[in-house]
Amino acid sequence: MKTGNRDQGSGISQAEETLRLLARLPAPEGLEERVQAHLAAAAKTVSPKARLLRWPAVPQGQSSLARLAAAAAIAAVVVGGGWVVCSRFQPAQPAQAVTAPPHGAAQQGGFSRAGAMRTPQTLNGPVVAAPAVAHPANATQTTQSVAQPEPKTLHRVKHTATREPISPTPR
Amino acid sequence: MSAGQAVFSGWMEIAEKAVQDEARRQAEEAALAALVSQYSGTLYRVAYSVLRNAADAEDAVQEAFVRVLRHRNSLHEVRDQRLWLIRIVWNVVMDRKRRMKTRPETDDVAELARVLPATGLSAEERAAAAQHHAHVLACVERLPAKERQVLLLSAFEELNSVEIAAVVGITESSVRSRLFRARNLMAGLLEHTRSLR
Repeated sequence: MKTGNRDQGSGISQAEETLRLLARLPAPEGLEERVQAHLAAAAKTVSPKARLLRWPAVPQGQSSLARLAAAAAIAAVVVGGGWVVCSRFQPAQPAQAVTAPPHGAAQQGGFSRAGAMRTPQTLNGPVVAAPAVAHPANATQTTQSVAQPEPKTLHRVKHTATREPISPTPR
Repeated sequence: MSAGQAVFSGWMEIAEKAVQDEARRQAEEAALAALVSQYSGTLYRVAYSVLRNAADAEDAVQEAFVRVLRHRNSLHEVRDQRLWLIRIVWNVVMDRKRRMKTRPETDDVAELARVLPATGLSAEERAAAAQHHAHVLACVERLPAKERQVLLLSAFEELNSVEIAAVVGITESSVRSRLFRARNLMAGLLEHTRSLR
């Protein structure tokens, strides 16, 4: 049993020695340079969250003067541009009332009505039927009575005409 | 303050901010270069202990530093940069290991004979040592993933149990229990293969 344990222990120690040998292996030659080169290549493709455009470097001694000149140039361009825009466009005039052209379109070369009058389409009222004349004597009497300006007679005639129209054929 | 003065002062602020950003970017690049020169060897060894292929391990180191490059703005917030980098490369290596499951296994014995130090050994002894190491590593590969990871990391003298726990993302007591189980399993596997011979 003790021999078995000793064998096991030696086996484990041998195994651990193998693993330790692997863990102590030296890195291959030039690994660091290759990794650096790979990183330099990857840095071009891997971009951080935001990329800033490089501003042209300004010498330290002339920095304030150059910045002042640049700011003045930008201000001049902005003011000049605004002035040009304002000078081109006039201020808006107040709105005027537009007069409507006269209706005589024919005078201006347009279409004319050619004297047509518009008649509104209304409903026709009841048509009074003209009384048919059976006898000329009655007819003259009737016409005479109609011709009389008295309202009574006219009223009677109207009743006669409406209630008992005279048929052309005798009954 | 007039409008002209306001524009001028605003422009001055923009220019100063650009200069500050440029200086900060250069400082970040310098810090990253220092990390590469200081820890690339450690990261390579961590990667090689899992992948056991020089080219794959180097690729993993490069990928880890590219990930660092993406988060270079937050470099100053990292407390333990060594542990942080080991954790990054460990994650990269685990991803690669998962993807390599379908690939054919590389000839570990030849690779080990080429890589492992064998000073003062004859050719036969060197070949036998390589075969022994390959056999041990084959047994390590047969361990469960959780135990294997802890056993591999415990071989690094730079890492104590607290740091191993931080790399793997478990508690320190879990590291100890896993290491205990890994050693027992490893002993059983080695004994079993020895009895078969």
